[in-house]
Amino acid sequence: MFTLPVTRGRLAFALSVPALTLLLAFVVAPLIWIVRVSFYEPIAGAYMRPAWVLDNYVQFLGSVWHLQNVLIFTIEVAVLTTILTALLAYPLAMYMARVEGWAKRVLMTVMLAPLLIGLVSLSYGWIVIFRGGGVLNATAQALGLIDAPIQYMYNMRGVIILLVYIGVPYMTLTLLDAIERINPSLVEAAKICRASPWVAFVKITLPLSTPGLYAGCCVVFALNFSAFAVPLMVGAPNTPMIGLMAYRQAMEINNFPFAGSIAIIMTVASAVILIGFSGVMNKLFFTRIGKAV
Amino acid sequence: MSALRLGDVAFRVLVCAIILFLVLPVVVTMVVSFNAGGFVLPPTGFSLKWYEIAWSSNEFISGIQVSLILGVSASLLANIVAFMLVLSIYRYNARAKQALTLLAMSPLLVPMTILGLSMYIFLAQLGLAGGKSALLMGHVVLTLPFAFRILTASFQNYDGTLDEAAANVGASPVRTLFSITLPIIKTGLIASFVLCFIISWNDFALSVFLAPSDWTPLPIQLYSYIKFQYDAAGAALVSTLVLVSAVAIVLLDRLIGLQAAIGGSKG
Repeated sequence: MFTLPVTRGRLAFALSVPALTLLLAFVVAPLIWIVRVSFYEPIAGAYMRPAWVLDNYVQFLGSVWHLQNVLIFTIEVAVLTTILTALLAYPLAMYMARVEGWAKRVLMTVMLAPLLIGLVSLSYGWIVIFRGGGVLNATAQALGLIDAPIQYMYNMRGVIILLVYIGVPYMTLTLLDAIERINPSLVEAAKICRASPWVAFVKITLPLSTPGLYAGCCVVFALNFSAFAVPLMVGAPNTPMIGLMAYRQAMEINNFPFAGSIAIIMTVASAVILIGFSGVMNKLFFTRIGKAV
Repeated sequence: MSALRLGDVAFRVLVCAIILFLVLPVVVTMVVSFNAGGFVLPPTGFSLKWYEIAWSSNEFISGIQVSLILGVSASLLANIVAFMLVLSIYRYNARAKQALTLLAMSPLLVPMTILGLSMYIFLAQLGLAGGKSALLMGHVVLTLPFAFRILTASFQNYDGTLDEAAANVGASPVRTLFSITLPIIKTGLIASFVLCFIISWNDFALSVFLAPSDWTPLPIQLYSYIKFQYDAAGAALVSTLVLVSAVAIVLLDRLIGLQAAIGGSKG
């Protein structure tokens, strides 16, 4: 690519000023501010007072209820949904790696469309299907299969279904990328050696696609761990997921310092888990693949 | 051999089931929106009554207006700003390119919860939270990385010697911009505008933090509608929204390819 040989410093700078201003004012400054606010002193009924106190952190980290029912619970939900997402995404990515032409184009569109359709529309679809009086229940009741509607929405079932649903396209695309990088002659060689497709998968495709699996799991875990919109939309009002809790503290209770400290705890916890995960993956898989290839 | 076949069939069935899982909510919503009996399936008859109800609802019409104004102005602003930044980096060789790129992509790197929360708390401190300008600026920042990415890709296929040639025959930088640069990257600009618009049009996660109570975009309207009322008019409205998204998907696919447009974005 071509750039003008002379650095036109002033013009270059002038052109970057609007973007710089916007991003500094509406992304960087808020991120710094929320860290500062997390040390403020909240005042019940009023707003908050400038201070340097750890009360907001102690309120969360010093309470067994918060640690167990919010932090650990959210980690469990994020891990469970990540595993379910990977289980659904793997066969799909394997299939997409071997089809060509229009079938691949259609599948690609199916993968990418949810990213553009938007969360509310997608959730609505599931609410229509699962809600009491929704398609599934109304039809089953009309057919006399069940007496009372089964509640799938506005509880954790709904949250898990929707998180997995949203995660599958991300995971599939990341896995597809990794699977397509595998040299096809390796699988071919396994077939010539009379390995069954299952053995070829376990011995070749699975280990060689772990980098993609790892990347996909990190993205989906990070998204699901901090999720607030999905539990807000299809969860119970008191769903104790950490992202939703931060949202409620800020928007409904107006306790900005506590909301800020929850956001910081969430970010740190997510980073610690992902770093730990990368350490485990390095020990378990990547060194072995490095030796094998 | 037959065990192998069976395994293959099982695999295909599994893949079909997963694809069904992915398309089911959209398909069911579409079917329900045209079904005279609403939520009771199999469909009892074709009807447009849910669309009539949805499209004559004042809340939805005002939501559509807000979302249109918001989407068009946010994507215009985001594209102008992103275009200037791309010019600065790729045409005029700005310093600290990597830092600028990282900053431009930063709204995508921060989880939506943190981004929305911190913007809301910061703007509340400035007394701007709950205002139209806060929502607009939020949407500009939200869509900026997408515009930046598409425009960067357009500029990477762009032969800068054309600009030099224009300058050599005496064209001013402004003339060069309008006669050479813009026509050449037109496709990228249109695609970028479409993508930014549709992201703003469908956004829920940021709007729920920043939307003023008397100026709510359609996804927020729809969210409160679903919470408190429950009839198939919601399905008609969602189908309308999905249709707009479908138009955008086709446009993006034709212009620059769907994968190039949204590969690696977050919802």
